Amino acid sequence: MGRLVERIIVLFSWLSGAILLSVICAVTGYLCFKGLKTIGPALIFGSTDPMSALLLRQRVFDGLFPAMAGTLLLVLMSVGWAIPLGTAAGIYLAEYAGVKTKKIFDLLFDLLAGLPSIVIGLFGFSLTLFLNRHVSKELHPCLLLSSIALAFLILPYIIRTTQIALENLPMHNRLTGLAMGATRMQNLVHVLLPQALAGMVSGILLAIGRCAEDTAVIMLTGVVASAGVPRSVLSHYEALPFYIFYISSQYANQQELATGYGAAILLLFICLLLFGLAFVIKKNLPCQVFSQR
Amino acid sequence: MPPSIPPIIQSSVKIRVSNLSFSYNGREILRDTSVAFPEHAITAIVGPSGSGKSTFLMTLNRLWEELPRCTMSGRVEMLLNGVHQNIYAPDCGMEALRRRVAMVFQMPNPLPMSIFKNVAFPLQLAGEKDKRTIRRRVEETLRDVRLWDEVKDRLAGSALSLSGGQQQRMCMARAMILRPEILLLDEPASSLDQKAAEAIEQLLVRWKHHCTILIVSHYLDQVKRIADNVVELRDGQLRIR
Repeated sequence: MGRLVERIIVLFSWLSGAILLSVICAVTGYLCFKGLKTIGPALIFGSTDPMSALLLRQRVFDGLFPAMAGTLLLVLMSVGWAIPLGTAAGIYLAEYAGVKTKKIFDLLFDLLAGLPSIVIGLFGFSLTLFLNRHVSKELHPCLLLSSIALAFLILPYIIRTTQIALENLPMHNRLTGLAMGATRMQNLVHVLLPQALAGMVSGILLAIGRCAEDTAVIMLTGVVASAGVPRSVLSHYEALPFYIFYISSQYANQQELATGYGAAILLLFICLLLFGLAFVIKKNLPCQVFSQR
Repeated sequence: MPPSIPPIIQSSVKIRVSNLSFSYNGREILRDTSVAFPEHAITAIVGPSGSGKSTFLMTLNRLWEELPRCTMSGRVEMLLNGVHQNIYAPDCGMEALRRRVAMVFQMPNPLPMSIFKNVAFPLQLAGEKDKRTIRRRVEETLRDVRLWDEVKDRLAGSALSLSGGQQQRMCMARAMILRPEILLLDEPASSLDQKAAEAIEQLLVRWKHHCTILIVSHYLDQVKRIADNVVELRDGQLRIR
């Protein structure tokens, strides 16, 4: 009986893995089937000369270059806001917070993690209205406000992974530096953080993916269908997920729909590139940190 | 009225523990116990598993304060830099204490950095900036633990690539680089083979001339070979054997 149950569990686990893998294959396969034929310089730069577009000499009207640039800037800015805040909060929770404070903050961060992105978008929109009325009439939905709103969306991922990565370090690792006469700060900076960095980067990876794919937040805070490459952080911008949403809901012909699939492949590729970069950093981090000293 | 403390060598007491009680998670591990340890000697602490020998060592460098749900009462005095100090007095700096009272753990615990950086780490924590001094002290200490010839060509290599015995000797070098006055060892040879354990025993016998050594050990033959005094921890009480 015991053996039968074990076999059923093993079979179920295999099936679950196979289903997951086949879904991934089906989605990427379908995207490639529909959109691969559109992939090429024309999809990105349209009829504009690629070099002129890259050097921002000419604006691209019929390609995805502005949306790609917008997505990349948005991800970098959001992660740029969220990393210092999230890591500091995670370090505080893992290393300094008392039991009661920890419980309260845990609950608050869980609530933040559970907020639907449209609610965060509405918060960003309200913030824009507030700033427009009380700070400057020049402030409108823009790249800067989108990135701040998105940073709130990804904060819980970074906080949690930082906290867990630090809390999961074995006690003997924690005591090693302290027994040598390290202060708590020295132990954190020189012993604990370098060992927890790999885990912390996992949170940043998740955050990058979440930033790159989110549409609800940016729809309410600054993204538009046609804006060109953003000239400043206070201007409107284009983004790949919004372009995919826009094309799939308003396409005029099959050719346009195919560019939507092409955009989806590009978005996946950008995510893959960022993931790859973060993976390389994750693999090499401890050595790099120590070789700098 | 001072508590009656069983003396070992009354004239040269290095550590004096008075009325020490310690609880972990509500469980009483040490109960109102007093003992004194002599200077420049190896004192072995023996006793049944789980009796609190490692915990007792942690009360001597205040490392237990980093663990959750622990409480302690009593007094621990040490002769450090020629002055008797209550190590739990508010003006006694914890980091300075741990630099004078070094500790080596049961399992070798190299940090994930190079051999050189591992050994130099306590010096850097203590604020030593001069690279030549650091290099000289690392070489001296590695020679002292008889590890220099084995690692001199791969000092920049990872400390994790050393064998268990080499790692533990490196950890001992790391503990000794600040020239502490007291060395606490928590079964340092328990995970090593006989040859590596003997190498560590020889080190301790040499070091006792400039350092006071307390070693937790389960091996009675090892205790017989190296210990000048034996203290047994049983039922929360430390007794001289």
